[in-house]
Amino acid sequence: MAVRRFIASGFLGIACQMAGFMALPAHAADKAFGEYLAGECVTCHLPSGRQVGGIPAIAGMPEISFMALMESYARRERDNQVMQAVAGKFNSDELAALAAYFASLKPE
Amino acid sequence: MSPMSSLNRRALLTGLGASAGVFAIGSSAVIGQAKPRVVVIGGGAGGGTAARYIAKDSAGALNVTLVEPSRQFVTCFHSNLVVGGYKQMADISHSYEKMAAANGITMAHDMAARIDRDRKVVMLAGGQALPYDRLVVSPGIDLRYDSVPGWGREHETAMPHAWKAGPQTTLLVNRLNAVPNGGVIVMIAPPNPYRCPPGPYERVSMFAHVLKKAGKDRCKIFVIDPKENFSKQALFQEGWDRHYPGMVEWLGPKIHEGVKSVDPKTGTVVTGFETYKDAALVNVIPAQFAGEIVRSAGLANASGYCPIDPASMRSTIDANIFIVGDASIAGDMPKSAFSANSQAKVAAMTVRSELTGSRVFPARYTNTCWSLLNDDDAIKVGGQFEPRPDKITSTVPFVSQLRESADLRKQTQAENIGWYAGIVADIFT
Repeated sequence: MAVRRFIASGFLGIACQMAGFMALPAHAADKAFGEYLAGECVTCHLPSGRQVGGIPAIAGMPEISFMALMESYARRERDNQVMQAVAGKFNSDELAALAAYFASLKPE
Repeated sequence: MSPMSSLNRRALLTGLGASAGVFAIGSSAVIGQAKPRVVVIGGGAGGGTAARYIAKDSAGALNVTLVEPSRQFVTCFHSNLVVGGYKQMADISHSYEKMAAANGITMAHDMAARIDRDRKVVMLAGGQALPYDRLVVSPGIDLRYDSVPGWGREHETAMPHAWKAGPQTTLLVNRLNAVPNGGVIVMIAPPNPYRCPPGPYERVSMFAHVLKKAGKDRCKIFVIDPKENFSKQALFQEGWDRHYPGMVEWLGPKIHEGVKSVDPKTGTVVTGFETYKDAALVNVIPAQFAGEIVRSAGLANASGYCPIDPASMRSTIDANIFIVGDASIAGDMPKSAFSANSQAKVAAMTVRSELTGSRVFPARYTNTCWSLLNDDDAIKVGGQFEPRPDKITSTVPFVSQLRESADLRKQTQAENIGWYAGIVADIFT
C-alpha cells in the first residue's frame, strides 16, 4: 500500500514537473534575481504600490505591461532620462526577472 | 578505533568544552555564537539601507546590530528644501523604531568609538563591545575644520556650515531669514571630493529664492569656489540669471585667488581678489574626509577616504569590513544618498552570501541627484555604473538640458519629491 502510494505520488510529481516545464517560457523568469535587481527601482518606486509625487506605482503591475513599458523606455520611445538609462542596460532575462518580481507584489 | 568513532568522540569533547566555556562566560555568548553577527556603523542612507537589507533578506539567520547615536535621523538630502522653505525639519526627520522592529535589527544608540580589527570587535563610547563576523561602516563625512583660515569648530555658530543636517540646518534657516534687504551672503564652497556635488549650488538657489520671495532682491550672494567648474554648472547659472537676476555672483579660483582668511566676529571674508565685510551670513562649507571611525581604524588612504573593491564595496584593507556611502572611494559615483543606498545593497548581498550561503548576483550601481532652482523648476544628473577592476565606472550618464520646457522641469521636481518618499521608505521601514 505504502509502496503503491509512493509510486503514485512519484508519477504525479513527474507529471506536474513536466506540465510546469512545458508551461515555462524559454528563459524562466528568475524572481529572486528580479528582487535583487529591483533594489535599484525601489529607491524611488514604493513596493507598497503607493504613488508619491512624480514616481508612478509599479507594484503589482502585470508582467506583460511591465515588459512593454521598459522596452519602450529602452528604445527611447518614452521620455525620461532616468528610465531610459535604467531600462537600456537590462537584457531580456533581467527584464523578465524584474517583471516577475513586481507582478508578485501585492499593492497595499 | 574507527575514524568515525574518533570523530564522534572529538565532536563530543569539543561540544562539552564549548558548553563549559559558555557557562563560564554567560548566556550572551550562547546567543552571540548561535548566528553570525553583522554590525553596521552609521544609520544614514548607506548604513540604514545595509542594516535593513541584510536583516530583511536573511530572515532571522543573522544577528544585525545598527550602531547610531541619534534616535531621529535628519536627512542631509532635502535639507536644502528646508532652507528654501519648501519642507520643515519634521519632514526630513525619521525614527529607527519601525525599521528595527519590522526587520529584527538591534539598535545600539551609541557612538562607535573604535574598531578593533584584530579581535573583530566594535567598541562603543559607552563601553559595550560588539563582536562581528562582518562589519559594514557608513560614517559619512567629517568636516576639515582646519581647511578655511580663521574658521574652526568653535565658529560654526557664527559661520554655519549646515553640511550635516540638524541644528545647523535650523541655524542656517534662521540666519537666512534675518538677512536684511541689501545684505550680503558669502558662501565658501568646498573642494572636491565632497558630499553632494550639486548641493552648494542648490543651496545658493534656495537662498536667492527665500530672499526674493521676501522682497529682498537687493541682496547679493557671492560664491567663493575653489573649483574651476562644478556639477550642473551651466544649468545652475542659467537658472540664477533667469530667476534671480543680479543676485548671485559665482567666482572661480582664477578670479578670487583663494580664501586668505575669514573673521567670524565681524562677518569678514578676505580673498586674493576682494574683501567682503559685514556679511549678513557666511556659509562655510569646508573640505571633507571620511568619518573619524574609519580613518582611526586605518581603513582610509592618504586621500582621507576608503578604498574599496568595486565589485562588492569590500574594504581593500580589511576583508571583513565593507565601506559604503560618502566615506568610500566609489570611482565615478558621487557622494550622494542615492549612491550610498545603491552601494549598501551590493554590500548587503555580498555579506549575506558569505554568512548564509545566499545567492550572489552581479554588482549594479545607480544614482540620480535632483536639484531645485525655484518653484517647479528642478534639474537632475545621474547615470548607471558598473564595477571595473580599477574603479566603479559610469556607463550611461545623463543630465538635464538647458531650455527644457517648464512642464519637464515641473515633472523633474515631482520626481524629486517622489524619490525622497521612496528612499526614506527603503531605509526606515
